[in-house]
Amino acid sequence: MNSLVAMWRRPVSAAGLTATSVILALATPYAADNARRIIEEVQRRTDTMSQQYEGLLQVVDAKGRVADKRWTFERLGSHGRSRSVLRFTSPAEVKGVALLIVDHADRASDQWMWTPAVERDRRIALQDRSTRFFGTDFSFEDLEERDVDQFDYTLIGEDAIDGAPCWKVGATPREAKSSQYTRSVLWIRKDNYAIARTENYVKTAITRRLDYSNLQNVQGIWTARQIDVVDLTRGSRTRLTLDKLQYNATLEDDDFTVQALRRQ
Amino acid sequence: MLLRLITWPYVRKHALRTMLTLAGIALGVAVFVGMNSANASVLRAFSQTIDQIAGRAELQVTSGETGFAEDVLDRVQSVPSVRVAVPVIEAVADPHIRGEGSLLILGVDLIGDRNLRDYDLESGDDAVIDDPLVFLAQPDSIMLSRAFADKNHIAAGDRLTLGTAEGDRTFSVRGVMKAGGLASAFGGNLAVMDIYAAQKMFGRGRTFDRIDVALTPGRTIAESTRELETALGSGFQIAPPSGRGQQFESMIAGYSLMMNASSVFALFIGMFIIYNSFATAVSERRKEIGVLRALGASRRQVRLLFLLESAVAGLVGSLAGIIAGTFIARGIAASIGGLIHDVYGVARQAVHATATPGLLAVSLAIGIGTSMIAAWIPARAAAAVDPVRALQKGGDVSLSSGETRARLVLAAVSALGSTGCLLLDRSGALFYASYVLATLFAMLLTPFLSVGLMRLLRPLLKWVRPVEGTLAADSLIQAPRRTSGSVAALMLSFALVVAFAGMARSTYGSLVDWMNTTLNPDLFVMPSPDIAVRNVRFPSTMSDELAALPGIETVQVVRQARVVFQQTPIMLLAVDLLSIERTARARVTDGNASDMVRAGAAGKGILVSDNFAQLRRLKVGDLLELPAPAGVIRLPIVGVIVDYSDQQGSILIDRTVFQRYWNDDSVNFFRVYLASGASLADVKRRILERFAGRRQVFVLNNGELRDYILKIATQWFALTYVQVAVATLIAVLGIVNMLTVSITDRRRELGVLRAVGASNNQIRRTIWMEALCTSALGLALGYALGAINLYYALEIVRQDVAGMRLDYEFPIGVALAVMPVMFAAAFVAALWPAESAVRGSLVEALEYE
Repeated sequence: MNSLVAMWRRPVSAAGLTATSVILALATPYAADNARRIIEEVQRRTDTMSQQYEGLLQVVDAKGRVADKRWTFERLGSHGRSRSVLRFTSPAEVKGVALLIVDHADRASDQWMWTPAVERDRRIALQDRSTRFFGTDFSFEDLEERDVDQFDYTLIGEDAIDGAPCWKVGATPREAKSSQYTRSVLWIRKDNYAIARTENYVKTAITRRLDYSNLQNVQGIWTARQIDVVDLTRGSRTRLTLDKLQYNATLEDDDFTVQALRRQ
Repeated sequence: MLLRLITWPYVRKHALRTMLTLAGIALGVAVFVGMNSANASVLRAFSQTIDQIAGRAELQVTSGETGFAEDVLDRVQSVPSVRVAVPVIEAVADPHIRGEGSLLILGVDLIGDRNLRDYDLESGDDAVIDDPLVFLAQPDSIMLSRAFADKNHIAAGDRLTLGTAEGDRTFSVRGVMKAGGLASAFGGNLAVMDIYAAQKMFGRGRTFDRIDVALTPGRTIAESTRELETALGSGFQIAPPSGRGQQFESMIAGYSLMMNASSVFALFIGMFIIYNSFATAVSERRKEIGVLRALGASRRQVRLLFLLESAVAGLVGSLAGIIAGTFIARGIAASIGGLIHDVYGVARQAVHATATPGLLAVSLAIGIGTSMIAAWIPARAAAAVDPVRALQKGGDVSLSSGETRARLVLAAVSALGSTGCLLLDRSGALFYASYVLATLFAMLLTPFLSVGLMRLLRPLLKWVRPVEGTLAADSLIQAPRRTSGSVAALMLSFALVVAFAGMARSTYGSLVDWMNTTLNPDLFVMPSPDIAVRNVRFPSTMSDELAALPGIETVQVVRQARVVFQQTPIMLLAVDLLSIERTARARVTDGNASDMVRAGAAGKGILVSDNFAQLRRLKVGDLLELPAPAGVIRLPIVGVIVDYSDQQGSILIDRTVFQRYWNDDSVNFFRVYLASGASLADVKRRILERFAGRRQVFVLNNGELRDYILKIATQWFALTYVQVAVATLIAVLGIVNMLTVSITDRRRELGVLRAVGASNNQIRRTIWMEALCTSALGLALGYALGAINLYYALEIVRQDVAGMRLDYEFPIGVALAVMPVMFAAAFVAALWPAESAVRGSLVEALEYE
């Protein structure tokens, strides 16, 4: 699973899991075990050395007005051991604003934002991760990649998204304080282990839904080139479109630090 | 029924006198309402601003005014009971809009701040607030309150220029907050900007002023406070937002004490007018009382009748006073707001002075109560009237021998008590008891002293005008009760004048002395034209730039900020002690001058100002514990010097100690000494040119700074002078009242005089001389009581208000200046009564009684 998927939630790591075993597991008391194996397989299939793309963000507010923003995204490593830099390129007022995300295998990520006009970096505190990410319908937490071990999984059932059969997997954070969400439900395509939909809940109410579409195989990795997130409490939605997507390019370690944020 | 049948006809017949009596109460109550509602409104506005800005914060972490390093935020956020912790910077900026005053800038991190505060933007501005990225990315972003935007016709997208530490900067209005809640703070003059942009614009370096905290559900404030104290150490104040309001109140406690004392004094003086009116009324209505008593009315009923009359008079006067007081409160509030800003450095804000229902009820109760207390003795006298004697002709304005004895005994007891209290304890409750007893002593002796002085004056008056002088003197001598009421009111007013004038004179003297010895640099370089503004600062690097300018010999940096010491914000001055010692010679009141500087500079001791030591009863050798972000400074006091930098006193430490404990090298202002022969104007110009465009710099010369300090002192006394003027006005009303009564009493006597050939001018002159004599008696006794009053006032200033050791100097100049004013006022006050005396019907006058 690539970081795009992780961005709209959830982590996943490698480990073999065949479709057959999953189907068998649905009818057994080992459903939780099998759910975890599905997620591990998703994570394994998306494990890469790096990822780059140029994103177009289109925020549609409740009145239907659309605001566009563009960014470049670079990630070094995968999942709970990755570091990412997201840098806005347009419009002009926000150009240069950057976000550094340092993911950890065993806890929530660290995040810093750089605002070039003030020449200041600021740490995004854990308490603020539920805040909307700069007017989009993503929260700061949605940008994190988490390791498979930070959640407990249950196989809820099966469903179909756009005609593609999917497993429905429930994910509950092991440390309640580490996430704004009480639980998430993931739809994972049986044919290629790509995530097709995620729904995030706070207590029993659904707050965000993410739909992954325009699925393409890029360098052997099934990747959604379009992600739509809907904030169900606000009634607004955001579409992220990925351009110039590339995996496993050579990136420098030094470019993923707070100092590097200041340099650029 | 009795009020309607007996009191009402009397009131109608003596409408003018009734009006004057009511005016006495009304003025007293008006001053009380005006002062208290203005004072309370200023305090309320301050607390409201704190609450509105605090939002849903349950605790606030502060470190006095100094702020603290950014990393403290991480420590606060890591505390388990803390759900949300967000940093805040508050600064005041000048929007350069005429008549608009200051704009409170709230610097916040909008990413997390919405967890605590609601930034409700007006519809139509959604795009702005929905895109905080633009707001954060652009340091010129600002959000305004609807109130401020409307007043100044500003809309989202407009530009606004503000004075910042970096000079005038133009901001883009990227949002307008809905009215109410946060947007109402600081009287609506509120703007919000990104905290990191605010740090830069207002010279804060990498510090925050405050952290606002919301707790994890289920955790208590006490638990969280304990956890935070453990995590941060004792150099921080952790308290609910209301705690800041309490600190503010404790800071201005001295001022509030003075305000309350003065307004009570105004009421006290009003009491004498009422006493005089009722004493006269009892005297005039003796026949009426006699008839009532003869018809079977009990003493209790008569007493109740007069008390009821006084209560009604108190009610009517109080209502008028409340209306007038509410009206004048706005002006007083503006004055207090300005004073608190200048003296304590608290940001000035628009205050809508309103009297609370509680204050109105208290004022009404005080007005009625004062009136009834004042009428108590006349009511008792009325109840004691013998029906037989009352029905005989003749007035009763003299003191009975029993009353005389009682007064003398009480006066002796008061004098002994006052002296005894003073000998036992020169501070605290006994000291104040001594003050009250001394005043009581003077009041009890007033009738005897008035008559005695009048007897001394009689030959002089007789020499000046044989007929009129004698008549005037005799009239006053024969009616000690009537005379003494007015004289006592005047005496108290002048005693107040002497005390305030003496205090002002001594204060000015001490301030000038301090400025001559300590405040002697040629120039002061500041980031704001307003000396009281401390939240805009310079970087320390400016010091070298200044020192390099031609014509400058020495540059001294001063960092000043309030830190919380024993729950009260106290001014901390961080300076290079060795450098200051070379240029200024502060007057030492305890300790050795060179030793204290050496110890202070080495970080082995703290110097404190004399007023700080006086207010807290501290001396050299005492250990002081001063909380700082990097830990508690525990150092002995090594010296006490005279320093009037702050009314609550100041603590002086070496700048190196401050930098170590506060991790802050910013500068509030520079003291600049010129090289020999350098031109003040040239150096000032060079400084302004050097920093033009990149720093907001204001350069004051020594004279300008002195004028500013003296202006604050004048402001400090201005309100009290107004009160003194009101007290004097009440006293003058007393003269009019007394003369009106006197003329009514003597209508027959005056009628006879006119019948036997006295001219109208002779009658007029008699009345005028009575007025002038009353005034002279009031002045003489007032000055005598004032001399005592001044002693107590200076002691109160030293012990409880400002800690200043002021020299006792009787304000002879003011005393002399008041004389002609008072005589003129008395003369004017006598004009109408005199005309009334000569214009009445001679036949009616002879028929009177």
